[in-house]
Amino acid sequence: MLEVFGRRPYLVLLVMALLLAPVPLLQLNDYILHVLTLFLIFAVFATGWNLTLGILGLKTLGHHAFFAVGAYASAMVSHYFGVSPWITIWLAALIAALTGLLIGFPILRIRSMPHVAIVTLAFAEIVRLVFANLKEITRGELGFWGIPPFDPIQIGETTIRFGLGNAAGSFAVAAIMFVGVHLALLLLLRGRCGLTFLAIRDAEAAAESLGVRLAAWKLFAFAISAAVVGLSGAVYAHYVLILTPTSVAGPEMLISLLAMIIVGGVGRFFGPIYGALLLTVTSELLRDFGDFRMLLYGALIIVFVFAAPAGIAGLKPRFSRKETETRKTVEAV
Amino acid sequence: MQRNFLETDRVTVAFGGIVALKDVSLSVVQGKTTAILGPNGAGKTTLFNAVAGAVRPTSGKVYFQGADITNASPSRRCHAGIARTFQITQPFGGLSVRENVMVALAARGVTMKEARAEASTYIDFVGLNAKAEDPARILSTGQRKRLELARALSTHPKLLLLDEVTGGVDRPSIPELLDVIRRLREERGITIVVVEHNMEVLLGLADNAFFLNRGEVVVTGSVEEVADHEAVRRIYLGDADVAA
Repeated sequence: MLEVFGRRPYLVLLVMALLLAPVPLLQLNDYILHVLTLFLIFAVFATGWNLTLGILGLKTLGHHAFFAVGAYASAMVSHYFGVSPWITIWLAALIAALTGLLIGFPILRIRSMPHVAIVTLAFAEIVRLVFANLKEITRGELGFWGIPPFDPIQIGETTIRFGLGNAAGSFAVAAIMFVGVHLALLLLLRGRCGLTFLAIRDAEAAAESLGVRLAAWKLFAFAISAAVVGLSGAVYAHYVLILTPTSVAGPEMLISLLAMIIVGGVGRFFGPIYGALLLTVTSELLRDFGDFRMLLYGALIIVFVFAAPAGIAGLKPRFSRKETETRKTVEAV
Repeated sequence: MQRNFLETDRVTVAFGGIVALKDVSLSVVQGKTTAILGPNGAGKTTLFNAVAGAVRPTSGKVYFQGADITNASPSRRCHAGIARTFQITQPFGGLSVRENVMVALAARGVTMKEARAEASTYIDFVGLNAKAEDPARILSTGQRKRLELARALSTHPKLLLLDEVTGGVDRPSIPELLDVIRRLREERGITIVVVEHNMEVLLGLADNAFFLNRGEVVVTGSVEEVADHEAVRRIYLGDADVAA
């Protein structure tokens, strides 16, 4: 599992947490905090997707549907029923997990990866169309507004507020979710779960012949992955406070997130984080280019697939292995 | 009805219009090593897959220790005591040799700590201890075959299905590999069914043999009898169209 997690994954996560912790206190301008908040939300989204795409090896292309389900579920429950977003985000994760199970069942019967990709892509399009057409509830492409931000928290004399316009508080929520989700996934994947998922990815028939119950493990992976993506969608909804079906389940979201995973490193635990950081920041820097940003994303995917298929996260071990081999050769001589 | 350790009862496997196995009935005696022989395309691997659960028979039954396992999944068959290796090795390339073995132990419910320790027993048995922490993808074919043996062994099998165990292995490594297989039976009492092309290998390894041609059992008997049979010689010499 060294290739997936590296040598000291908990230390890497701790360093990330330590880097994030002082950010809200640095008096950075709101725009920078906004970009960093989006990075954290998309990093969690990409990590959740990478669980099935890279670690389980199922070529799913429809996880933006779970992002949309999580976002709309949390937004609608909090808007229509007045439930606190602190509660609805967990409900949204659960609903996304159940949706994951729903699509997971038919996928179990499909052995061909291109067909898995097409079915999941079609599923995402169905989800987008459903949200677009339930206009009485979602207001369709006009946008679902009036989503409440997270309730303020009072700590002593200080009141921490959230949502757009309250950049430091929103960043803190995203950072806590980022660290919490990655820590939980590390604990889960460094044990039996990760071992089994990677075995299924590398040789499904061999794993099954060794007693691995494929259907149960695949459904479990799908549910966990969808729950993580749904949670990130819910946090996104209570941050941006307006949703449209195309913005959360459209092709731009699909391409952006896929690019983050591929550029960061498919199947590497920390890969999607690096990809999300690079592309969220680059995307903001290239905002003046409008839709041409997608061209850059496409080009980056092509470059990485050919030049560095293991992504940013795969670059270091690759060099290390070369160094090790060189050292062995030198020692042998 | 008293059944043998492993039995196939008139098993037919068809892929669309192509009949890969036709009414194959065979039985394997516990504690013995049984060889399945035949030219390319005879249906050996299909028969193997039907026993291991990777292929469902179109008709017929498979019995293991008296129980009908025809419709059991490969994982259920594994838990019942059937383990296998593959003609083209299937290592978990992203995992180390030790982790490869731990997959099977984890599937049995062993804790990760215990699995890590127990894996050493099987890795030692097949002689891969020097490679225990190496990624499986860098192993040679012979080492991969041994890794598959270690993985299969960790499931505590009663029946071990070995598919072309010397296929692709360099000649100097074959005796060592065969020694491991012999020890599986002698030290652990595992019943073995082996598919193999190399007659020389089988004569030193197997007790009984079934010779398949075009999906049907043509000759059965002791491995020596089968090896000497006229039909087997003709088919192996490439004269398959001449009636036996």
